[in-house]
Amino acid sequence: MFSRTPWRPLAALVAAGALFLTGCTGGAPGADQSQAPQETSGPQQIRYMIGQPEDPADLELIKSDIKKFETANAGITVKLDVIPSENVRTVLQTQLRSGEGPDVFGYDTGPGFAGALAQAGLVYDLTKAYEENDWPIYDFAKQRVTFDGKLVGVPSQIEEVGVFYNKDIFTELSIAQPQSVADLKAAMEKIKGSDVIPMVVSDKEGWQGGHLMSISLSSAVGSKTMDQLINGEKSWDSPEVVEALKVWQDFQQSGYLNPSPTAVTYDNGNALFYSGKAAMNPTGSWLALDIERNVKFDVGFIPFPAPNGPGIFSGGLGSGTFVNATTKHADAAIKFLDYGMTEEHGKWAVEKLQDIPAYPVDTAGIEASPLFKQILDDSAKIADGTGDFGYNVDVLTPDAFNNAMWKGMQGLLTDQTTPEKVAAQLQAAYEKSKK
Amino acid sequence: MTRRAQARLGILLTIPVLALVVVFFVFPMISALYFSVVDFDGIDPSPEFVGLANFIEMFTDPETWHALSNNVIWIIVGTAAPMIIGLLISVLIWTTRRGAGIYRLAFFLPFVLPGVAIGIVWTWIYDPVSGWLNRALEAVGLDGLVRGWLGDPDLALYAVLATAIWAYSGFVIIIFLSALRNVDVELVDASRIDGANALQRLWFILLPQIMPVFLMVLTLTLVGGFSVFDIIFIMTGGGPADATNVLGTYSYTQAFQLSRIGYGTTLALLITVLSIPFAVAINRLQRRLALQDTGA
Repeated sequence: MFSRTPWRPLAALVAAGALFLTGCTGGAPGADQSQAPQETSGPQQIRYMIGQPEDPADLELIKSDIKKFETANAGITVKLDVIPSENVRTVLQTQLRSGEGPDVFGYDTGPGFAGALAQAGLVYDLTKAYEENDWPIYDFAKQRVTFDGKLVGVPSQIEEVGVFYNKDIFTELSIAQPQSVADLKAAMEKIKGSDVIPMVVSDKEGWQGGHLMSISLSSAVGSKTMDQLINGEKSWDSPEVVEALKVWQDFQQSGYLNPSPTAVTYDNGNALFYSGKAAMNPTGSWLALDIERNVKFDVGFIPFPAPNGPGIFSGGLGSGTFVNATTKHADAAIKFLDYGMTEEHGKWAVEKLQDIPAYPVDTAGIEASPLFKQILDDSAKIADGTGDFGYNVDVLTPDAFNNAMWKGMQGLLTDQTTPEKVAAQLQAAYEKSKK
Repeated sequence: MTRRAQARLGILLTIPVLALVVVFFVFPMISALYFSVVDFDGIDPSPEFVGLANFIEMFTDPETWHALSNNVIWIIVGTAAPMIIGLLISVLIWTTRRGAGIYRLAFFLPFVLPGVAIGIVWTWIYDPVSGWLNRALEAVGLDGLVRGWLGDPDLALYAVLATAIWAYSGFVIIIFLSALRNVDVELVDASRIDGANALQRLWFILLPQIMPVFLMVLTLTLVGGFSVFDIIFIMTGGGPADATNVLGTYSYTQAFQLSRIGYGTTLALLITVLSIPFAVAINRLQRRLALQDTGA
């Protein structure tokens, strides 16, 4: 029989090694960006990750813009990395946490998106870059990318969420622009009888549910109460929130929406609207350019109606551009951001992409369709704070709240839950995330 | 060679394997145990020690039980269906002479496709707006069956399961076909002469002879049922409203989308703890059968 003695020190060594290795774990990259070694000499390549634009033509425009930047900045090349928009959230978070993320990336602003990355130390502190480059971003927009006193991104898109509608169908059926929820329901009842889907709702990805709740709630309670809800001065399980949620379940049960909204992707939902098979599409102003490119009818853009009035748009800031906390090319990345901050670039973005920058751009002389002109005018009001706008909630709320909201809306649209339960879950998630 | 020298040589020879076990099993396991007792958000290098809080939350979290129940459905249906389909088709192909190669290729092809690609393609097939499944149903007059397959909380899990069964059955068929090559054909012929019908021949003659392989495939399928993730994540993301959540997707959501790595790791540990006994039990059964075969 073999002696068992030799195994003991070996086993002890294995255990000690394992424990040592365990002790070494625990830090995702980016906790301290000063640790990221910088490569400053020689040609530099930065990887720029964005979600797939709705229209391939936009991607070509972005590529040509990158070429322009590369020409103006010899020695810096930009590798564009385009991934499906619905995967940005998971792919980006996973890559950043593994330390293999892109140097620069487009992502949504607000605590639930960029805020979550900032909290995890995954984004670069751009406070110094703001000072050195004197970037003229609107103050309200800067707030959306400021976490723990650090500016971590460059906001790049002012947007509003409302309802696009097919004017031809409305005219054909003699329907006027709805001035209340009752009007909207009457209009949808009429449209339903004409073999057209009154309102297309796509919620397979889940995030669209945040927009649905935002528009019905903003219009129902107004901007001041929205402020109170966002700031925790009013409870999310209050009757007003329940009523705003109930609207969507009511629409679904009344057959005003397409069948199985939770099985329909955002792209396919939009396709139903483009093809004239759906009369209304509740989504954001970012879709205006694609709508203009894809439809053969006149389109209007209205706020989701309030119970007793025309309602207000949910406005604010959408996406932004951020830098990876562990980038080895911080200077090149900041130069890339700076390139997008000029008046000339702003005009280009407005004209070509219908992206409305979060800094002053003189839009006089820009050729715009009536639809985009309306959005431009509204955006100016959002920027200078003169208009009455609600909020796109998920841009302002933390991850756990958004998760509850998205799942809650899916639950409502599939009759798995009730508005009261969803409201209670929202309040619970809000309280939990505030701790 | 002395016994001591033999022992030393034995230890020396096991070191490479031991190193692999430590790096790929012991270390990740200890690491996971560590994360399960801290409140780690993915960045804080010195996360707060929370003791058994993550475990208590896991056992009191209704979504854990819901996800686990989906895992159980996946394991039962997702194991039984490919095993039955695989066995029946492999026996049919085994007795087929013409075009057997083509059948093998056709059935095995889905298995070699990447899971992500399968998930994406089947998502298109199920799509209520542009998917061909609903269109095909309408074309043959089955309009009543048209629905949003992946958006219906009562159906979504089964729709994804159907895809997984389609993809996995090919693997089962090929493995069973390989096992059937070693079957004693004379025994089959003798049983036929004795009047055994097809089902009896399958049950009493074929199945016992391929039992070790059958159990090996069963183990792989069962354990895979606990750790299922990719196809559900791609096709539904665990939705709508968590309807298709399994422990794998729930763990991922908690760890990487809500930055609750401690809790996500605890859920992942549950998957491991649940799947190990199954694997061990079937492995033992397999050994016992092997010993019976050798008359030991």
